[in-house]
Amino acid sequence: MQENQPIIEIKHLTKIYRGSNKPAINNISLDIQPGEIYGLLGPNGAGKTTTISILCGLFDPTAGNVFIDGMDYSHSSEKIKSIIGVVPQDIALYPSLTAKENLTFFGHLYGLKGKNLRNRIDECLELFGLEKTANRKIKTYSGGMKRRINLIAGILHKPKLIFLDEPTVGVDVQSRNVILEHLRNINKEGATLIYTSHYMEEAENFCTRVAIIDEGNIITEGRPKDLIKNNKEYKDLESMFLHLTGKALRDE
Amino acid sequence: MLRLLSSIYKEFLVLIRDRAGLAILFLMPLVLILIMTLIQDATFKSVKDANISMILVNNDRDSLGEAIRKGLIESDFFEIVEEFDGVKITEEMAKEAVAQGKFKIGIVIPERATEAIRGNVNALINKSFKTFDIPGVKKRTKKSTVNIIIYIDPATSYSFKNSVMSSLKEFTSQLEIKMFFKNFSLALAEMFPDQKAVEFESFETIKYQEIYASTTNSEILPNSVQHNVPAWTMFAMFFIVLPLAGNIIKERDEGSAFRLKTMPGSYVTVMFSKIFIFLVVSFLQFLLMLMVGLYILPAMGLPQLEIGPHKIALALLAISSGLAATGLGVAIGTIATTHEQSSTFGAVLIIIFAALGGIWVPIYVMPHTMRIFSQFSPLNWGLSGFYDVFLRNGDILTVLPEVLKLLLFFVIMLMIAIGYNKLHRTK
Repeated sequence: MQENQPIIEIKHLTKIYRGSNKPAINNISLDIQPGEIYGLLGPNGAGKTTTISILCGLFDPTAGNVFIDGMDYSHSSEKIKSIIGVVPQDIALYPSLTAKENLTFFGHLYGLKGKNLRNRIDECLELFGLEKTANRKIKTYSGGMKRRINLIAGILHKPKLIFLDEPTVGVDVQSRNVILEHLRNINKEGATLIYTSHYMEEAENFCTRVAIIDEGNIITEGRPKDLIKNNKEYKDLESMFLHLTGKALRDE
Repeated sequence: MLRLLSSIYKEFLVLIRDRAGLAILFLMPLVLILIMTLIQDATFKSVKDANISMILVNNDRDSLGEAIRKGLIESDFFEIVEEFDGVKITEEMAKEAVAQGKFKIGIVIPERATEAIRGNVNALINKSFKTFDIPGVKKRTKKSTVNIIIYIDPATSYSFKNSVMSSLKEFTSQLEIKMFFKNFSLALAEMFPDQKAVEFESFETIKYQEIYASTTNSEILPNSVQHNVPAWTMFAMFFIVLPLAGNIIKERDEGSAFRLKTMPGSYVTVMFSKIFIFLVVSFLQFLLMLMVGLYILPAMGLPQLEIGPHKIALALLAISSGLAATGLGVAIGTIATTHEQSSTFGAVLIIIFAALGGIWVPIYVMPHTMRIFSQFSPLNWGLSGFYDVFLRNGDILTVLPEVLKLLLFFVIMLMIAIGYNKLHRTK
């Protein structure tokens, strides 16, 4: 990777789903630097999940380009997939398997094996306070425990770039603190985090930079503190978010 | 390789921890094959074991009545009932009992039926000899029709009714022939009193010999087990489509598929591991069905399954049928958006394939158009292959066309799934 090369480079990205005449993402361009915690914020249906899905290689865009660490999916799909980690909003685990069985399976798919994998699993389980329940089936876990193990499955292979789609949704304060604290540590170790959330206060404190998206367009973008500082009428990120995106209810 | 092995192990764990799924995969086919074979064998046996009661009102009390009575009893097909609580059954009683569904069939032989037939035979003989004016030969020319009334329960199957009618026609025509020759002999004796009377012995001019055609020397006799085990095994193997498609949809609904698609090379690996595990399951199903045919059915008094000498041909058929079924499962699981869609569509599709494939009704009795459609059912290919091995001692070369068709079906189904996935990427 060249010096100062963004880890994510989005150029004029547009996505129009088949059968729809309205773009889900409309000509957005964005650079995200290595080591950032970048927040994609927006109401339901704003285009966050579509953006993340394209960045993860799930969909092809209708127009525009995406470069991850200087590579694009059409040429280096496998290489990109090996350096990214994804923490989906849904608990993307096998409920009938234990936590250890799930992590061993996903670890193997990332090419980890043997003692290295076992040590890494133990390390992560201990870090997130799940070492004692490692041999319990996921379906017996509480919501917070499921969130934590869902997160571990995405960071097990120490990816350079981690996509976190609402990683703290529906968990108690304790679990949320544990998750955010460890994510900060992972970021400090060099990983770039791309994060979506509906919790504006959490985003304000957690992200180094945010983009507020609505109807497929980036409305504003920058460091949370700068955004508030430059717009004196907003007391925090949430009031700015509500002002920019409106107070009307949104559905997906 | 580690990815593939780990995926296979994961699929194995998911499968063995789903008890309901396991029951569908192994217990249901077992129950299905036992019930279907027992029912079909019992139907066959019930006719043979004289379990079907039939009313006979014999008002004739002469040769015809006795011949029909004797014929019905000796056929071993029927149990003849002539009295209710010691009271001789009348035509009215017979009609009422059949109308109420208590009996499938009631036969009423009218009074003086034999005499009428005898008169008809004599009339025929007189007509033959009318040019000869032979003194002493009685002139009998009057003909009359004998009406044997058969009351049939409307719920009686068409084939059963036909077999009873054929038997009755056979008994009456045999009697007519016997009477003809007897009276012909008597007429000749009257014409030529000086000659010794000719005795016409009963002689079968046509004999039927049943031989099951086979190109090899060893002979395997078809029976209900030989037919039912492969048919219902194919049916059960294809039902693997439902749990496999369900497994794919569940993985998608739970979000694991999303994660897998973002991991290097993993989605293809995971799909292959699913195909492998479900192929193993289908092969185990096949072995289980064979065990049922070889050991359980004989223990229940049914004939034993003869699997023939070509075990490799059999294994090839089982593997290619399993691949065809898993391919269909992958395609349905990929395209269907909900579990309800896949289970309904999958189940109906398998039933259509089974119906077209001759699982319920043999293909040779189907109308011409349906016989053309049946050529497109993978269950038909598998079943034909199993019949080749089980009933015709077919070897690998014999079943090769069926094996290739099943493998081609598997490849086409995978291509549909891959194509749909690619289309989905650009949705």
